[in-house]
Amino acid sequence: MSETKRDKNSRVNVIKFALLVSFICSLLITAAVSGLKKFQQENIELDKKINLLAAANLIDTGKKPSKQKTNALYDKHIQAVIVDNRGKILKTDTPKSMHMYFYKTDGVIQGYILPINSRGLWGKIHGYLALENDGQTVSGFSVYSHSETPGLGGEIESTWFEKNFKGKKIFNSHNKFVSVGIAKGKVANLPENERKNYVDGISGATLTGKYLSEGIKSTLTRYEAVSINLRRAKPAATKKESKESHAKKQNPL
Amino acid sequence: MLKNKTHYKEILAKGIWKENPVAYQVLGICSALAVTVKMSTAIVMAVALTAVTAFSSMIISSLRKKIPSNIRIIVELAVIASLVIVTDEILKAFFYDISKQLSIFVGLIITNCIVLGRAEAFALANDPIDSFVDGIANGIGYGLILVFVAFLRELLGTGKFFGLPVIPQVLFDAGYQNMGLMVLAPGAFFIIGLIIWLKNSLAGISHEKK
Repeated sequence: MSETKRDKNSRVNVIKFALLVSFICSLLITAAVSGLKKFQQENIELDKKINLLAAANLIDTGKKPSKQKTNALYDKHIQAVIVDNRGKILKTDTPKSMHMYFYKTDGVIQGYILPINSRGLWGKIHGYLALENDGQTVSGFSVYSHSETPGLGGEIESTWFEKNFKGKKIFNSHNKFVSVGIAKGKVANLPENERKNYVDGISGATLTGKYLSEGIKSTLTRYEAVSINLRRAKPAATKKESKESHAKKQNPL
Repeated sequence: MLKNKTHYKEILAKGIWKENPVAYQVLGICSALAVTVKMSTAIVMAVALTAVTAFSSMIISSLRKKIPSNIRIIVELAVIASLVIVTDEILKAFFYDISKQLSIFVGLIITNCIVLGRAEAFALANDPIDSFVDGIANGIGYGLILVFVAFLRELLGTGKFFGLPVIPQVLFDAGYQNMGLMVLAPGAFFIIGLIIWLKNSLAGISHEKK
């Protein structure tokens, strides 16, 4: 841009300037994106692990333990597994297989954690739903990525909302699978026998709640086979029968 | 180049109060509605916007003699958008939790009228240092309104201050209720409207007398 004396509005100059600006801007963005990618990915990985652990109630929702502690807890308790649609554990990934996690203490399954990929109002909601080893009690829920409106739908990742899920059942009082839904308003306003299947909704975020309820339901439906296996195994949790059940159901005990 | 202190004080006073971007220029309303439900998001948004406005104004001002006037707006937007993306990436890398909370709103700084408004109205006619100060001033002006609105909305809407409950349980027991309207966007409309009315009714600064 040495010839500033020439008309800066000449066509050639406009094109030159536009090209130069776009080039510099793209260079800047590329540098920032690729230069910071490593840090960002680390954050995302760690955040996923923290959420997984929070869903399994290994750490308090809303707390953020150190990196070492998170990794140690994760390695000790969480086992990633691949299952097929009948709940069988697979060794290798196949196109139809599904990912999930077992939460173990000393090799005994305490519960299992399902990844939730739900539609939201503005974009995808990603999170984890943990169930106890009875295959019907929710032990925790956490969201690690979403693009809902901060303060409204964005409340899905707040502590009160996530804690809401603890102890809820995915079965209704007639022992039928109903999943766990997000109520419009407070659970206390619902009939007594439905309260255990719903969590408090977020005011001003009815649609987010609706989509997330649908997402959770479809995930639970897909993984129902796993839940059934665990439910069957549950009465046999005593030491005598556990071997038998584990041979039958191929639980990775 | 350096001018005396009163000159900068004048620019600061204009941006922060006299010609406050929200209450006087009525710019940046959309984001003011969205991020003011809670104090914490309002503050981070204010800081991010201040940084972007200051640096974009400075860059545009230093290019002002070279930018061809017929592609002026596009060039301004390109500079602003790049800065916003870089800010977003930095937040994601080093302040992951905050960036998660703000999610789309950092990206929406690009469309915040204050940034482009200051570039057009101030940076194109003034030198880089003045423009930088002007950017900071407008960012603070915007931030103050944001924090004030967020304070009222969080207090009245959820009974909290920075996420901590401040309304005593006794009041709730006596029949006090949170104001649901304040959590929703219209709540911010009312508050911002009242602020604009208040500001214009104060002597000496109303639109009519200018």
